This record gives sequence, C-alpha cells and structure tokens, in this order.
Amino acid sequence: MACVLAAALIATAAAQSAPPDKLAKSIERIYGPGTRVDTLHVDTSTVYRLSRGGALLGFAQVRNVKGKDQPITYLVAIDSADALRDVDILVYREPHGGEVAYEPWRKQFRGKKSDAPLQVGKDIKNISGATISSNSVTRGVRQTLADLTAWHAAGKIR
Amino acid sequence: MRSLRPLAVALLAIPLFPLTELPGTSVAAQEEERTTVGGYGEVHYTNLSGAETPGSVNVARFVAYLAHSFNERLSLRSELEVEDAKIEGGEEGGEVSVEQVYLDYMLSPAATIRAGLVLPPVGIVNETHEPTTFNGVDRPGFDHDVIPTTWRDIGVGLVGSLPGGSGLSYRVYLLNGLVASGFSGEEGIREGRQEGSNATFANPSLTGRLEWTRPGLTVGGSFWYGGSAAQDPALGTGTFDNPVAVVSADARYDTGPFMFRGVVANVSISDAGAINQAYGGQVGSRIAGGYVEGAYNLLSALAPQSTQRLLGFVRYERYNTQAGVPDGLVRDDAFARRTTTFGLTYKPVYNVVFKGDYQLRRNRAGVGQDEQLALGVGYQF
Repeated sequence: MACVLAAALIATAAAQSAPPDKLAKSIERIYGPGTRVDTLHVDTSTVYRLSRGGALLGFAQVRNVKGKDQPITYLVAIDSADALRDVDILVYREPHGGEVAYEPWRKQFRGKKSDAPLQVGKDIKNISGATISSNSVTRGVRQTLADLTAWHAAGKIR
Repeated sequence: MRSLRPLAVALLAIPLFPLTELPGTSVAAQEEERTTVGGYGEVHYTNLSGAETPGSVNVARFVAYLAHSFNERLSLRSELEVEDAKIEGGEEGGEVSVEQVYLDYMLSPAATIRAGLVLPPVGIVNETHEPTTFNGVDRPGFDHDVIPTTWRDIGVGLVGSLPGGSGLSYRVYLLNGLVASGFSGEEGIREGRQEGSNATFANPSLTGRLEWTRPGLTVGGSFWYGGSAAQDPALGTGTFDNPVAVVSADARYDTGPFMFRGVVANVSISDAGAINQAYGGQVGSRIAGGYVEGAYNLLSALAPQSTQRLLGFVRYERYNTQAGVPDGLVRDDAFARRTTTFGLTYKPVYNVVFKGDYQLRRNRAGVGQDEQLALGVGYQF
C-alpha cells in the first residue's frame, strides 16, 4: 500500500522536499492503511485530502520552517472536524534538536484546534537545548493549522 | 597531528549507512546548496555598589553565524565573535575570535562526523550560551571560573541522537588539550584554553556528553580528560602528563510557568604542585562547585493570555577554585565564592530578551566582596 501511495505522492512532494516514501508512511501511520490520497491546490500550495470508502478523514499539508540554520520539513494532519490528528517531522537536517521528531514531544499537539494557543511555554513544553527547533516547529504548526482550518471553512478544501 | 592519525583511520572504517535510509536522499528531495546567516548579541550596563564606582556600558558580544550546507549531508557551521565592541592596536580590551568553525558530515541522525573548532560539551552554558537562553545579564561566574566558557578547541568527533526515540543524544570529541602554564588559582583552567589559535596538539584530550531529553526536561552528564604539560620540560613530555579531569552533571526543567536548572562540576588537577613549582602560581588540585536556579513566569499569573514571558529568578552559585590544594600551598579563602543573583528576564518573543539583575558576591575570606546591578538586552536569530 505504501508503494501505491508513494507513487501517487511522488509528483507533488518535490516542492516541499519531503521524501515521498516518508510522506506516504506518515500518512498511513496517522490515518491508517487503505487511506486514499487526493491532491488539492489552494493558491500555490498543495493540500492532501485523505479519505477511505468515500468518507472524509481529514487534510494534511507539508511545509518547511527554519530551524537554527536548516529548514525543518514537517507535516500537519487534521481530521474532518479541523482537530489536529498529528504532527510529523519528515526531515530534520541539523545534528542537534532532533528531539522535536520524538513522539513524547509531538503528541502534545494532538487534538488541538486553531483556537488553542499553540505556544511554547504555554500549552507546548519546551525542549531545553533545542529551543529554536521547539519554537520554530510550534509556530509552523500553528500557522498551518490556522490555514487549513480557514481554507476548510471557506470551502477551498473539502 | 600525529595523534589524530589513528582516529582518522578509525573514522574512515565506519561503514556508511545505507543511502536509502537517510532522510532527504530520495530523488524528490535533492536540495540546492544553501547559505544561512544568523547571530546573537548582548549589550550590558553594569554598576558595582559604592559611590566610587560609576556604571559602565559595553557591547559585550556581537556574534554572526554563517552556515552553509553543501548538500543534504555536508554542512559548515561557524560563529564569528566581536567582544567589547572593538579592538584597537596597542590597547587593552576587545577580542575578535572565530568561536566555532566546523564541518558536519551527517551519516544518519544517529551519527554526524564533526571536524574543526568545536565547543567541549561540558555543562549547560558552554554549548548553549546565547543571551536568550540563560537568566541574568552576565553568564554565571561558575561558567567562567570552573567551566571556562566559552571553551573551544580543535579536533574531530561524533554527535548524534540514539535511534528509537529514546531521547538520548551524545557528543564525543578528540581535541587538543589545555596548557598548564595558563592555569591560575583564581580562574582555574580558564587561561589554559588554546581557542584554536596555533594550538599545540602535544596533549590530546577526550571529551563527551550524554544527554537525556523529554519535553520540559533535559538531564546531562559530561567529561573532559587530557594532559596539559605541552612538552614543557619542567612538567613532562608524555601525552597525558599533568592530566586534568573534568566531570559535570546538569539538569534543566521547564514546565512553562516554572523553570529550574542546576549544574555541578569537579575539576581534578593531580599535578597542581608541579604546575605551581614550574610557573609560580596558586593552582588548586581540585576545583569544584555548582549552582541552582529557579525562575517563575510572572505573566502566567498576571496575564495568562499573554504569549510573552516575564521571569523572576534567583540563582545561588557556590564554587571554589581551590577546593583542594597541593602540599605546601596555603588556601586562599577568597577563592571560595558564593554568589546570589536575583532579577527579571523579559522576553517579548522567545529570542529577544531584556534583563535586569542584582548580584551579591561573597567569599569565605570576606575580602573584596561586592554587589552589582546589571541591565542588558540580547537577541538571537
């Protein structure tokens, strides 16, 4: 299944520098096997629409945010009611601060909606020694979640 | 360089990780070369207590980061620093230095080979020293006299995170050693650093750190071991003559409203007697101490909606650069220091800071004690 997904994603993943196999694996992990992926476009950005058997599961988007000196490529996945299902770090390019990719940190985001503060030091705990990565990813997730929610409400993605 | 050769061979023998398992190596992820600029800086106002001591202001540090990734695996990272705003020919003060410059070759997230001028990963502040990362205008005195921040030397090593989401990361380096002729009773091993400037590799050193990280909690342990004789016939010509051994442990806890950090370190200089005989100093055979610090974000009570931070903090440092002395050396109790710092840290955003603090600097001898008011601004990006 992952192979089929990878083939479907390969054309669209290039712009965000996410390896398609990692992206496919991430989507399967979050939404379960047999998830159908359709590619939508809002202005110049790409959004993945996830469904199974005709039922909408949610939307996901891949973006980059700057870490200390390299971009961090992350995925934000929401459910059909605009609650955050999970965040995945698809590519982390620096030798320090990779703890933002770990489950104990990422799971703090689950269930958040766009009205949550999503701020390090408030509802998201910092990773001491990886403060830049923690803040950058949190800011990126906040922005992505806000955009996906707004696009969904406006009918730009459905 | 002679000492480096066996390690270079060892590094070449490490099997390269399968390319397909590396992040970002697929066809779709080929990246262009990328240069990034960053930096940090801090401007200080300090005023010692007493009528005879007017305040002074100083651009303590202005630092530019320059990083370049040649491809997804190979990057350069550097830090160029100006201290005290300027240097002028024939005058005291000021420093321009390359504080870090190294190449990173990422084999996998678990292992990056690093070579160049690097920071020994000892304690908290030596590696993470940007003004936005610590409370108080000046770095703690402990991070000056016990751990000689910013400690940087040249060599090679490996850094990485252990796989499996364990939260464990490590760094280990083979670096040039310290030079004992710079050691002193007051500042310990501080002036024994070579800082990458025509350094001798007569005495290599080994340093490393293991760190365990959870959201909000980081716990680490560090060591440094190396000779310091620098082939001075008065001391010895062996690789590990006049050894210095540093061990340190630290913890940082950050819940949002509350933050705590603490560090302890012990430096053993077993041949301190010989060093003092050769150079006429008062070097202790053991340097030891640490600090604890607690902070509370006042805005979490006063303005719960605010995303800014206003931290009230207190830090207590206790250290002695003559915790042990060699036979025949009379302890100077002025080196047994106790410093209490309390103040405020205001962060409108996480990487900009306005600071104010008051320090009570005491010592066991009760001589030369003072108090200091300090204000500062800092940033990092």
